Amino acid sequence: MATVLDPAGASAADERRPVRRSESAPPGGRRRFLPPLLAISPFYVLFAVFGAFPVVFSMYLSFQDWDGIGDMRFVGLKQYGWLLQDTVFWHAVLNTFEIWFLSTVPMLFLALVLAFLLHSQVRFAGAYRVAYFIPNVTSMVAMTIVFGSVFAQAGLANALLRAVGLDGIGWLSSEWGIKSSVSVMIIWRWVGYNALIFLAGIQAIPTEHFEAARVDGANSRQTLFRVVVPQLRPVVLFAAVTSTINGLQIFTESQVLFQSTDVGTTGGPGQEGMTIVLYLWQKAFKEHQFGYGAAMGWLLFAIIAVFTIINWRLVSGSDRDDRRPGIAGLLRRKGARDGR
Amino acid sequence: MMSRRRFLGASLGGAGAGLLTLSGCGTAEGSASAGSGHLSLWYWKGSLSDRLLATAARGVPGVPGLKVKGSQVPDGDIDSKVRTSLAARAYVPDLTVVNNDNLATFFPDEDEFLDLRTLGAQSVRDQYLDWKWKACFTPTGRMIGFPLDAGPTALYYRRDLFDQAGLPHEPVDVAEELSSWEDFIAAGRTLRRKVPGTPYLVSNIGNVFQQVLLQSPKQFVDADNRFIGDQEHIRRAWDLSVDILRQGLSARITDGTPDFNAAMSGGRVATMTTAVWAINSLKDTAPKTSGSWRLTTLPDGPCNYGGSYVTLTRYCREPEAAFAFLKWLLSPANQLESYQEMALFPTTPASYADPAMHKPDPFFGGQQPIDVFGPAARKAPVVYFSPYEETANTPFFQELTNVETLGKNPERAWRDAVNTAGTALTRLGVS
Repeated sequence: MATVLDPAGASAADERRPVRRSESAPPGGRRRFLPPLLAISPFYVLFAVFGAFPVVFSMYLSFQDWDGIGDMRFVGLKQYGWLLQDTVFWHAVLNTFEIWFLSTVPMLFLALVLAFLLHSQVRFAGAYRVAYFIPNVTSMVAMTIVFGSVFAQAGLANALLRAVGLDGIGWLSSEWGIKSSVSVMIIWRWVGYNALIFLAGIQAIPTEHFEAARVDGANSRQTLFRVVVPQLRPVVLFAAVTSTINGLQIFTESQVLFQSTDVGTTGGPGQEGMTIVLYLWQKAFKEHQFGYGAAMGWLLFAIIAVFTIINWRLVSGSDRDDRRPGIAGLLRRKGARDGR
Repeated sequence: MMSRRRFLGASLGGAGAGLLTLSGCGTAEGSASAGSGHLSLWYWKGSLSDRLLATAARGVPGVPGLKVKGSQVPDGDIDSKVRTSLAARAYVPDLTVVNNDNLATFFPDEDEFLDLRTLGAQSVRDQYLDWKWKACFTPTGRMIGFPLDAGPTALYYRRDLFDQAGLPHEPVDVAEELSSWEDFIAAGRTLRRKVPGTPYLVSNIGNVFQQVLLQSPKQFVDADNRFIGDQEHIRRAWDLSVDILRQGLSARITDGTPDFNAAMSGGRVATMTTAVWAINSLKDTAPKTSGSWRLTTLPDGPCNYGGSYVTLTRYCREPEAAFAFLKWLLSPANQLESYQEMALFPTTPASYADPAMHKPDPFFGGQQPIDVFGPAARKAPVVYFSPYEETANTPFFQELTNVETLGKNPERAWRDAVNTAGTALTRLGVS
């Protein structure tokens, strides 16, 4: 290292000198940070252009009225004001939460059970893992078209219901039918992904804990809820937070499911499938109200931030004895646990 | 040790330099193909003849040295893409295809497009349909579009079902007996009563609503930027649609869904009120019903539904040559070719008389579709579209769906539609 920094240095006796010089940090010594900074700069350049700039620009845009080409007109906080009064927007917010709840709760539970089963001795575990991951990498548009025919009035779902003597359901034409259909699609897509995350978490639990449980005579259910779940909390937290972020950004399912030439993409009957992002897209990219869309994006950001914090506190603050308010408390507790 | 702030400063500085470098890449002229030997043209698959484009890529006949290269953009994205490139003033195509419904959305930014009158467009005016030509103009009188294809409408009906119901069933008779929407609804009642299997008159009421709207020269916002969606011409379309529903004549299924396909092939729906471009999808959807369908004039007369335009952007490097290319591409002879190859309906009436357009179609029992669509294209009304139609009409279509699918009270739905559209338009400066 030192020889690299001091090409003139030759003898072994001189070798310590450049090191000492850098410790006293004379002017110009900073230059040695240049090569590593240059090496990592591509990320920052790309991030600034494609990440930071759009974020800042969308904030700026949310105070403007702009159709995408012509001059921007400064409107201050008006877009936000209109948004707060927009009944369709609040309907979309409500829908998004309903769909999020309908999908995330069963999905995380199913994923947990699946992960636990995969962790037990099963044959072809590798094949199952691949199979569970496939929905996640399937084209969403293709899968939505398939689900569209499954949930059609004369589709597979209703055929099954009728086969067991029940009436068909208007999957795509009634309030809860629409929400359930969209939720089923989300569950189908994300359950395998979360199962794999949980599986990784379960595998990090020391085997002695399982052995101890077995020696104590615990059955599978008890092992799952008394041994696995408590130790899996950080992983559950991760899965819950990512699912919240994904769940509040539902878009493709509703967009493809309810697209029609005349009605456009308004989320189906009663707009029950209209989500926040779908409404944002409709306003910004179909009706060219980019300022309004940007304001909606920021409101969505605020909503996601609030719910991520709530989520975090709910999932990680479930044991009462060491409950501390706020994130500081959480970190302290985590530190204490790691120290054990 | 470098402080974190200094570190951030250094990396942001680097990023800033990066930004400058990137923006420096934009071509000075802003065109998508500046510096190359051809003009660039954006279109979506199926909007232009592949064969004619292949010819133009080698050299436009009659315009020495001119080559035009088409680039396909997905049809849902083309508008956003054109907008983005115009906003950035970089990589803008020389020419671009614009959908019928969307040309008006560019009216507030008409300066971004060349005025074709200045290139001598008037010299070819009489070759094109009058209403189509007029639709190329902005309210200030700039001609920013050139007629590509048209979407004349017709009543598609099942001759066999009409026959079974004891209704008139030959195209001429149907046109005469079902000359108004009221007659159309009455025929629907007879169909449902008399035909075994009780077919529905229409798949959903949105289509009827759409056609009645397009038969009116006024839409939701007038040329003075006033919301007129609560007026009689819209209310009539609404009431007719609701009436069809009340009488149980709508199958209440969305077009293009698996349920729709099943209903069409199973003969559960007896008519379609739509444009010429629906022919191919109907043939694909219900091949078994071939021979049973006929075409006739839409009740209350024809209208135009769909079609497109070509525009020249302000960044077009060779406006004269680009316009010469348009004149060649969209000449009556080439529109005829496009019709034969891609089923693009010509906007040049001279093409309609050509024997090539008079081929009997076995799907329609040997009827010649041009006999219905030709006159319909000539008679379509001149309609004024404002830039805000989509914002204005979406709530109406939405509420109509609510009435049809969720059984919402039609009066309440109407009030909600008027209010939602009114509020949304206020934000856009429509009074």
